[in-house]
Amino acid sequence: MISRDDSKTLYSLLNSGDLRPFDQISGDFFSSFPASLHFRLCSSLAILLEDKSVLRSSQRLVAYAILYQAYSSQRPSSNPFISLLVDAASDNDAEKFERAFILQLLGSSGSTSIKEVLKQTASDYIKCFDIASHAFPPREQLQQQFCEKINPEQDHCLFKSISVKNVVPDPDVPRGCDVNSSEFDLQPGVQPKIGAGDRNETAAGLLENFSFQGLGPQWIRPRPPRLPVQYDELVWLNPDNHHELLWDNGMCADTSKGAVVRDLIAKALKGPLAPTQQERVLFELVSDPKIVYHSGLTPKKLPELVENNPLIAVEVLTKMIHSTEISEYFTVLVNMDMSLHSMEVVNRLTTAVDLPTEFVHMYITNCISSCENIKDKYMQNRLVRLVCVFLQSLIRNKIINVHDLFIEVQAFCIEFSRIREAAGLFRLLKSLE
Amino acid sequence: MDSRESSSSSSSLPEEDASLSLAKQASLLFHSANFADCLTVLRQLLLTKPSDPKVLHNIAIVENLQDGFSNPKKFLEVLNDVKKQSEKFATASGDNVVGANNLESDVVAVSSGNPCLIPQFSAAHSSSIVLNAEFASHVASYNIAVTWFNLSEYSKSFSILEPVYQKIAPISEGIALRICLLLLDVALLSHHASRSAGIIEYIEKISSVRSMISQSESSSSSQQHPPNLVTKASSVPSTPISDISIADSATNASEISLSRSLSEEAEYENLFSTLDMSGQNLSRPVHHSLNDISRTQIDDSIPIIVDLRLKLHLYKVRLLLLTRNLKAAKREVKLAMNIARGNNSMVLFLKSQLEYARGNHPKAIKLLMASSNRTEIGTSVMFYNNLGCIHYRLGKHQTSAIYFSKALSTSSVIRKEKTQNHTHTSFAADKSLLVAYNCGMQYLACGKPILAARFFYKASLIFYNRPLLWLRIAECCLMALEKGLLDSTGAASTSSEIKVHVVGKGKWRNLVIGEEVPKNSRADLIGQSDSSLVNDRQPKLSMTLARQCLLNALQLLNSSESVHMSSGLPSDLAIEDETYSKSTNYKSVSGGDTQAHNLAVASGQVANGELKEQKSTSTPNSTLRDSISDYEDICRKEIQIIRQSILVDLAYVELELGNPLKALSTARSLLNVAECSRVYIFLGNLYAAEALCLLNRLKEAAEHLLIYLSSGHNIELPFTQEDCGLWQVEKIGDCEEFNGGSVATNIASDEGQVFALNPEEARGTLYSNLATMSAVQGDREQADKFVRQALSILPNSPEANLTAVYLDLMLGKSREAISRLKNCSHITFLPGSFAVTGPS
Repeated sequence: MISRDDSKTLYSLLNSGDLRPFDQISGDFFSSFPASLHFRLCSSLAILLEDKSVLRSSQRLVAYAILYQAYSSQRPSSNPFISLLVDAASDNDAEKFERAFILQLLGSSGSTSIKEVLKQTASDYIKCFDIASHAFPPREQLQQQFCEKINPEQDHCLFKSISVKNVVPDPDVPRGCDVNSSEFDLQPGVQPKIGAGDRNETAAGLLENFSFQGLGPQWIRPRPPRLPVQYDELVWLNPDNHHELLWDNGMCADTSKGAVVRDLIAKALKGPLAPTQQERVLFELVSDPKIVYHSGLTPKKLPELVENNPLIAVEVLTKMIHSTEISEYFTVLVNMDMSLHSMEVVNRLTTAVDLPTEFVHMYITNCISSCENIKDKYMQNRLVRLVCVFLQSLIRNKIINVHDLFIEVQAFCIEFSRIREAAGLFRLLKSLE
Repeated sequence: MDSRESSSSSSSLPEEDASLSLAKQASLLFHSANFADCLTVLRQLLLTKPSDPKVLHNIAIVENLQDGFSNPKKFLEVLNDVKKQSEKFATASGDNVVGANNLESDVVAVSSGNPCLIPQFSAAHSSSIVLNAEFASHVASYNIAVTWFNLSEYSKSFSILEPVYQKIAPISEGIALRICLLLLDVALLSHHASRSAGIIEYIEKISSVRSMISQSESSSSSQQHPPNLVTKASSVPSTPISDISIADSATNASEISLSRSLSEEAEYENLFSTLDMSGQNLSRPVHHSLNDISRTQIDDSIPIIVDLRLKLHLYKVRLLLLTRNLKAAKREVKLAMNIARGNNSMVLFLKSQLEYARGNHPKAIKLLMASSNRTEIGTSVMFYNNLGCIHYRLGKHQTSAIYFSKALSTSSVIRKEKTQNHTHTSFAADKSLLVAYNCGMQYLACGKPILAARFFYKASLIFYNRPLLWLRIAECCLMALEKGLLDSTGAASTSSEIKVHVVGKGKWRNLVIGEEVPKNSRADLIGQSDSSLVNDRQPKLSMTLARQCLLNALQLLNSSESVHMSSGLPSDLAIEDETYSKSTNYKSVSGGDTQAHNLAVASGQVANGELKEQKSTSTPNSTLRDSISDYEDICRKEIQIIRQSILVDLAYVELELGNPLKALSTARSLLNVAECSRVYIFLGNLYAAEALCLLNRLKEAAEHLLIYLSSGHNIELPFTQEDCGLWQVEKIGDCEEFNGGSVATNIASDEGQVFALNPEEARGTLYSNLATMSAVQGDREQADKFVRQALSILPNSPEANLTAVYLDLMLGKSREAISRLKNCSHITFLPGSFAVTGPS
């Protein structure tokens, strides 16, 4: 699109061809329009030239002159409209003077130099035109001469390259009348009849409305849908809970209380504690549930504590049941050698806290295999009896679900069926089946 | 080291005593809210301990309370300094551990005589378990988190608290509970469902544990393992009687000989009889009794937390609402109602939210009305906001807008009051940014993209890490483009009409067919200049901005997806596994279970799914866990939908910006999304085809369209009405069976064109684009057939009509073209009002 003012100016330049020489007109063209506009204006002119009836002869010559002059500083082959000029020059249907004019512009015909030609006005040129002094070389020759260096244009977009001119003549004349008859031309001073139109008006209007791209087939690009509001996307507000700032009680606090426990636990790892010492530890553990974390115990040291002071071990583990380390302690407990004390610890733990089922199962498996591996018959009997009552206790207290371990336990009972407690356990199993 | 310790202890002992009493005095003053005097005492204390982080911390707390939270930023700075300093102390003392371990007894002796050592020191040397930096600074961390919480910066609060929670076990119970409750609030508000469930479980555990401890304590004297057993064992000299060799079962094959003592015999019998006494020792302590907790709180000199039980119920309601288990939520609300006597506004708000979630809007409104207590200005913000939400869902956008703006104006009143008078009450959190998001949604629904974007930008201060926010801003840009509000393009993007300029009169009349700016050159130049900053109150909407936002959203989505996509294994075990591994935090809570679970899996001894049968505790929490795994499913699906939506928008935006290559790759990744909605697949194919056309790759472009071609020239519906279900909302009504089937109504009319395309129109679009493509390929006959079919479906489509006109002109049938234009209903003829006087 060209602005209305620009197209007005341009059209008046075309009209001045009757009175002023070409070079003046093109000079005006350069002074009226910035270089950035030239291409667009020239494209409009080119489209306007396509329909031979829109512009009068003098206007057409001026248009060609402008098309040529706009790019005359470069070589003809780099003129973007060179192919149009060549086509027009070799168009057999076109007026001879027009073709000759273009040829002269291109510098390939005529004796008079281009400068002299441009000093004429358009109407003078037409008037003085002498066909005899001109030769019309065939299209191929012209193309070779001027277009050879032009590569076939690479269109970036197919939609563009195949577009058609978006101007359709739609003559508005009474039905049955010949559109081309001159009766519909506007006569000065005469009341215009229906169907009459002004060529000037049309030409200028077209100049304004031309679109460089033309009309191509249209692609429908549906808009993407908006994502509907999500379930909890709208923010629902509920009254907040109040969270007050906290005073740090650790300020200048007594930090020694852990020392006693730490000390005693260290001793407890090495041997059984004296009753008063044990009481002290248990008291400290109960009075401050967090002191256990300051006791210096680690999972590695647990077996020693279990063997030497099972009660303290139970208390410590109970206090730590919710810490992250507890699983490490359990793992150690499961994997330590089966002993009276470890069983006591496990048994007490099962009644004090919720042990992970897997842990209890692992422990039972461990117990059973320990029983099977003992060489000493006497000790084996003792152990088996113990494991049997332990299992019965677990089952009765619903700490384990027998069915999880049914086969394993049953095999164990059968293997040691000679022992009274094993038989008892077997009966218990059967009764639960 | 030894000497240093002892010298300091001897010289500073009286001084330490003095500071200890000062500390006690300060604490008393603080808890009686006598802040001015408290500050004086603290300053005195600071003279003796010039850089003690805990003293500095408490001074900051008091000062902040005294001036009514006037400068939270500065407060945070001080606390962060304190935290850093304590952590430095902690690591410094940690370095000492190595040396200290060798001198264990000495150090213990010294430290026991010196009550005011740096706390970490005396403890840290002994064990690897505890005392580290976190322990030293957890109060400061908590206070920082509280402040962020009050500023609605939940993610920041969360990231501060999380590491504290990971190592919560050694923290004294009162404070640990405070930390848990705050983290729970924060986790719920930032939609961390599994984390929230973990914390609830943990709170339940510790509250029952405490009761167990006290009970076992009281009963221990009467139990059967009195200390005399130990007495017996230790009094007897340990002389080996027999060597028993026990082969270690699994781990250790070597035989180990154990020496047993005589006392073992006695122990054996004792244990045996203990076990054999059936069921005597099974007096498993009864769970619960929360007064224990409150007892410790007194110890910690924290105000007693009134009703933890009610609180836990309410938290569960919130969690269940978050995870959309509405039935369970309803049960939980009932329980809460039973406990809460009278009108607890929190319960009523939650109940209202429940009804809102169930789509029972009238009841939700009623409950809200009953709740207030609207005289309390903080509540009224929530009240109005929630009414706004309800009316939004009801499709009453005018009313909704009024309520939202009321909520905003009320909260700005609060802000003003706060700056005017410094009250001692802790500040009510500013909710305006949250309401702003709702306002944005509201304006977007009303088709006011620029206003909407302004509100979204406000909300971005806290929602910056939500993919949805960025998607919404991008949608604002797209809507602005649609409405022709973008600066670069004066006209609406897809004109619904063909524009024809009529030039000249009579014989000379010409029709100039609509200036169709080629779509790919419509890039907006304005947005390219700079990306509008987040803080900019008036963002410049543009396609470039849209692209930025969408890329943002995609990035955020990918990072959040890595959380949600971690699983996908079908078995029960996998689900369990997932809930554990979902969050490291959760792991730490149920650490015992996880570890044991892993162990079980590793040894292969435990059958699948056994975890589910865990005794006790499981009943209430299994509901939570179930709803969480359901929720995670839902989240995954939602993320998929959001992802599709982002990609489809992005492909469109890239086309608009004239980047066919990027549009193509985006469309392709959209088409690669698993379980992609058919609607999005359709759009993805369309965008990909267009991009390929623009790239001159016609054959590939055709492939994207031809998949819809069934036989000959017939195209099936690219998607069905059901596929559009996403864009329809549930029919609002009082429905019990909300969870089941719900009636759907198209809301396009209500909600300002969420999605205009119906399946039939989509088919028409395909025909039209196929026509275009055939035309481009030079197959005019085929193009003609397609365009005719397109026009039979979409008689008013400007594009289809123009394609038809193009084909006519191509074939030189300008008369037909003209008559087609004149018969087209969506066309504007613009008079060419151009007059020139010139020689005729």
